[in-house]
Amino acid sequence: MENSQLGNHYRFATSAKQVTVAGLILLACLFLLYFVISTSMVQDLFGYSQQIHARVPTFFIRLAVAIVAIGAALYFITGFSFYKRNKIAWAPWLFLALGLGLFMVYVIIPIFQSMSYSFTKWDGLYDINGVWTGEWVGFHNYKLLLDDPNFYTSLKNNLLWLVLYMLAVPVGLFIALFLNQTVTGIRIYKSLFFFPFVISQVVVGLIFTWAYNPEFGLLSEFWSWFFCETKENIMGNLTRVCSVEPPSILGNEHSATYGIIAAGLWPQIAYCMILYLTGLNNVSPDQIEAGQLDGAKGWKMLWYVVLPQLKPATFIAVVVTVIGALRSFDMIATMTQGGPYGSTNVLAYYMYDQAVGEGVGRYGYGSAIATVLFLIMLVYISYFLWQMYQDEKEAH
Amino acid sequence: MLNRFNLRKIAQCVALSSLVSGTAVASELVITFDDLNPDKKLAFESAVEAFTRAHPDITVTANNGDREAHKSTIRNALQNDAPDVITWYPGNRMGPFVDAGLFMDISDLWSSDENLSSNFNAIKPTMTRDGKQWGVPYSYYQWGVYYRKDIYDKVGISEPKTWDELLSNCDALKEAGVTPFTIGTKFLWTAAGVFDYLNLRTNGYEVHNDLTAGKIKYTDERIRNTFAKWEEMLDRCSFVSTHATMSWQDAISPFANGDAAMYVMGNFSVGQYKEAGLTDDQIDFFQFPEITPGLPRAEEAPADAFFIPAKAKNVENAKKFLAFVASVGTQTAWNKAIGQLPPNAKALINEDDKFIVKGMETLSTASGLAQFYDRDAPAAMAKAGMEGFQKFMLDPSALDEILENLDKVQAEVY
Repeated sequence: MENSQLGNHYRFATSAKQVTVAGLILLACLFLLYFVISTSMVQDLFGYSQQIHARVPTFFIRLAVAIVAIGAALYFITGFSFYKRNKIAWAPWLFLALGLGLFMVYVIIPIFQSMSYSFTKWDGLYDINGVWTGEWVGFHNYKLLLDDPNFYTSLKNNLLWLVLYMLAVPVGLFIALFLNQTVTGIRIYKSLFFFPFVISQVVVGLIFTWAYNPEFGLLSEFWSWFFCETKENIMGNLTRVCSVEPPSILGNEHSATYGIIAAGLWPQIAYCMILYLTGLNNVSPDQIEAGQLDGAKGWKMLWYVVLPQLKPATFIAVVVTVIGALRSFDMIATMTQGGPYGSTNVLAYYMYDQAVGEGVGRYGYGSAIATVLFLIMLVYISYFLWQMYQDEKEAH
Repeated sequence: MLNRFNLRKIAQCVALSSLVSGTAVASELVITFDDLNPDKKLAFESAVEAFTRAHPDITVTANNGDREAHKSTIRNALQNDAPDVITWYPGNRMGPFVDAGLFMDISDLWSSDENLSSNFNAIKPTMTRDGKQWGVPYSYYQWGVYYRKDIYDKVGISEPKTWDELLSNCDALKEAGVTPFTIGTKFLWTAAGVFDYLNLRTNGYEVHNDLTAGKIKYTDERIRNTFAKWEEMLDRCSFVSTHATMSWQDAISPFANGDAAMYVMGNFSVGQYKEAGLTDDQIDFFQFPEITPGLPRAEEAPADAFFIPAKAKNVENAKKFLAFVASVGTQTAWNKAIGQLPPNAKALINEDDKFIVKGMETLSTASGLAQFYDRDAPAAMAKAGMEGFQKFMLDPSALDEILENLDKVQAEVY
């Protein structure tokens, strides 16, 4: 009894040697990191102080030192008696520490920074001494937002994107049902349907921009079969004269957003389709058979037997579609840049446009838009996390 | 994206050998340029080469990148890894960087350099802010109306000198089935060119400056007059109908095909007309016609310039380079190569290029030179303003709503 207690005591004792060695290494690393950053001594050592690639050697040196420092820190903590006694509670946090640290630095802190900028008027510049050049304006930016027609247009478009993008889910489902059969060459059809999801958003945007072009686009080609004829103009060149002008989809404020959403739906439908196709693979044939015995077919079979089993696929399809709708940035940037006159902006693009784009440099105002967007997304994200949490609880 | 044109290695060898013999001390110069168009790139590189020949003791590192990307990377460059010389736009566009103290005051160079102090008087105000000079221009170009001379001849009309002549030309062109003007407003700034000219001709240079400096409201009666002229222009001189989906390059195709006869543009577009198959005989240039009789004629003449970042490490070399860029020889060679005009009054122009000759004549006789709406106005104002112009072109009835919104933006920006 006493022996084992002694043994336990020994096992949990702070190891002085480990702590000292690790502590010294850690101190040395921190000193080095500070030294290198503050004096650029290494930069001068390499004689690169003026060039862009000067950062490369110092970056690798700093990285190496930082890795050693992290290792030393872990070794340092694990040497202490309080750690040894509470290993089960502490170990997960040690493993998480690095990830949490990065998450803090690159996600959490910037969110709050951006919120704080939203209370300032700032053009994004620091002066020569690195002093921030903005000024505190309180809720001014938010007051401006309430009075900004472009903000309401963006908000309305965000909503349009969310609602119309949901079409991808049912359409994807029906294409999946249609393709879920065994015919020769079905794989080819499946991959053809999946194809739009493989190409980059930017390329999809370009293809649709060309197709919509009222001068030479595919759509205007069709149009000219019905309403246009080719004539010779004053210089003897061939030109097209239309009784009704072809629609300028991206050039008209009322149709432009719908045009972009239609382009975005093309790959999104393919994505939902592939989710449902894999879901359909897991539909239990027993239940289908049982349903058939009970006389279910057609819509009833789909609604009461197949769809409930596809619930996980539906959940993921809805989630990725909402995310897709919020990520409409690339499509807008390639197709209209928010135009004509800001009528296709969504909050994300408007924020970029006001802060970073073309040097407009209203960083405070852009941050205010970002904060509003963040609050809206927060509602959705909270619901999503809550749902996940509920599912986890059920699973346990 | 950065296209590095690097003479460092060779120069290092030279520097090393000179160190060994102990005759000269090598120093460095880092230049950032922002044009990858073949002719512009070549002109820049030849200038750098000439500079290295003239100053063999200076090791030049020349970086060249995409122009649009440069507009956002310059912020980082000025605050962190500053080169010694960097390109940027004069006028209000340099304002934020000057105000934040990121550009170096080079008034001493302007006053001490014989050539800069005597040959750049026309453009000096553009390079000046707070009574000091901040950069040295290497090139500028004229704006005006480019037109199809062959169509004009066929319809039997001639270059208009007044607003009424322009309108009646438009009537004749429409009669003949030709759309008078082409334009592509997808990227907005082309519409600002039309607005600027209407405003300069209706109200003059002072009003242009006061408007872009935020001293006049957009709902001001004078600005409304400008828009009234524009509405008249939209009505009688229609523009190609699909302009909102076209870039300025796209808009050349109806012009080249003979469906449209005129284009309000800058001289950089001439190369593109020729690429589209038009010859010097088919196209010509006239100054935007007079609207208010007797008003002194001001012109748009955007300039490109070099600046020294406040964080530059080799300031002496940078000043040597700016003085070199300003020299008569460099200005002549550079602008001949890129088909633009030298800001140096003593520099020679390419007499064989009729557009350059006409441009020189247009600008040298102008009473004032405007930079361009989106360079004279702060970027945030320019963005909103140009969106308003585009909206107006598509829907003139929304004028009141547009102008009131612009007043709101103006109150916020200045």
